Amino acid sequence: MAKTPPTKGKKPANARQAKIEAARSGAGAGANKIVVATVVVIVAIIAVVAGVILSTRGDDAPAAGGALPPGVSAMGEGFPAFSEVTPEPNAPTVDLYEDFQCPACAQFESLVGPTITGLAAEGRIKLVYHVKNFLDDNLGNGSSTRAGTAAFCAADTGRFQEFHDQVFPGQPAQEGQGFTDELLTEFATNAGIEGEALATWETCLTSGRYDAYVDSVEASSFEDGVRGTPTVRINGEEQDLNTIVSPEGFTQAVEAATE
Amino acid sequence: MSTSLDERDAAARPWYRRDVVLDTVGLLARLFLGTVLIVAGAVKVGHPLTSQRAVQAYEIMPMTLAGYVGLALPFVEVVLGVLLVVGLLTRPVAAVSTLLMVAFVVGIAQAWARGLTIDCGCFGGGGQIGADETKYPQEIARDASFAAAGVWLWWRPRSLAALDRLLFGH
Repeated sequence: MAKTPPTKGKKPANARQAKIEAARSGAGAGANKIVVATVVVIVAIIAVVAGVILSTRGDDAPAAGGALPPGVSAMGEGFPAFSEVTPEPNAPTVDLYEDFQCPACAQFESLVGPTITGLAAEGRIKLVYHVKNFLDDNLGNGSSTRAGTAAFCAADTGRFQEFHDQVFPGQPAQEGQGFTDELLTEFATNAGIEGEALATWETCLTSGRYDAYVDSVEASSFEDGVRGTPTVRINGEEQDLNTIVSPEGFTQAVEAATE
Repeated sequence: MSTSLDERDAAARPWYRRDVVLDTVGLLARLFLGTVLIVAGAVKVGHPLTSQRAVQAYEIMPMTLAGYVGLALPFVEVVLGVLLVVGLLTRPVAAVSTLLMVAFVVGIAQAWARGLTIDCGCFGGGGQIGADETKYPQEIARDASFAAAGVWLWWRPRSLAALDRLLFGH
């Protein structure tokens, strides 16, 4: 930064100094620094505030008017699967947090999915699914929400589990490609939804009936400390995935939590 | 002191202390830090939830506050980056950018010290990851190099091809 020489002398020390002096006194010292700084600060604040407002647009009041899947009594709560099964009195609750687009969830499901559903079908655990959708924001698509809504539309016809079990093996090869409508319909048909029920399922999906519910589960599970997927909690206690990712390991964890 | 350089005879200085060299270093520092900030901010724009979660994962601020910081951060980074690249108000912008980088380093260091296993989310992404996937030393070293560029400009904001020069003549 140019600086006034310590001496009070008016005569410039050299050519360079002369130029600086000329620039300073001539042309009214150019732009006023305070004015420029004020303008820049105001523009910067407007840019940041506008950015924040634009990026939050559309996600106000996610719970407004949203429908709840069968068996769910409030927004944000998990979906109790195998509602037709009466669990044993000492059966532990298994909370499973998944995002339908999450490859680690697909891997987890392929390894212990049948074990989990088997235990639930026998009434040895109370299985609760928390269908999350944070990957929509990450991947820049809406596929987790759509697949979630599609699964709960299947729940309306009593086919949640069947639909759920189609989604993970049917994930697109590339993460982020998302689920096409054709693919979701294929899952529904494979889950045994047909005829009039399929038409109802389609209407339900198109109207986004459970989009708000899936949003609410995403928010509440994060507040409950779920930081990634898959997350498994048995009677509220978070499990180490490395130990429960085998049928034996999972069954042992369940047995340890029983009684 | 940089201020006294102006009054000295240029020929008497070693090459590395000449104004043109120092001004070029300033230009490079501006472009380096500015580009990094623009890229870091731009990749987060359009992913507001991911950005919020990335900040919340540090577990420093209350959730709501961290959420707003996560929403605003991408735009703050882009604005600072643009100002650096064009060279407008270089010294104050460099000071803010340096403090921001220092805050990032402190955030990462405390996450490391507390045993959190998170991705810094510096260039998008973020959140909890596996314990064997953390890259704390690399992330700190990287942010420290950005802070170094900021410190240079804070200390000596003059540089080549800056709007400051055009507007204010220095």
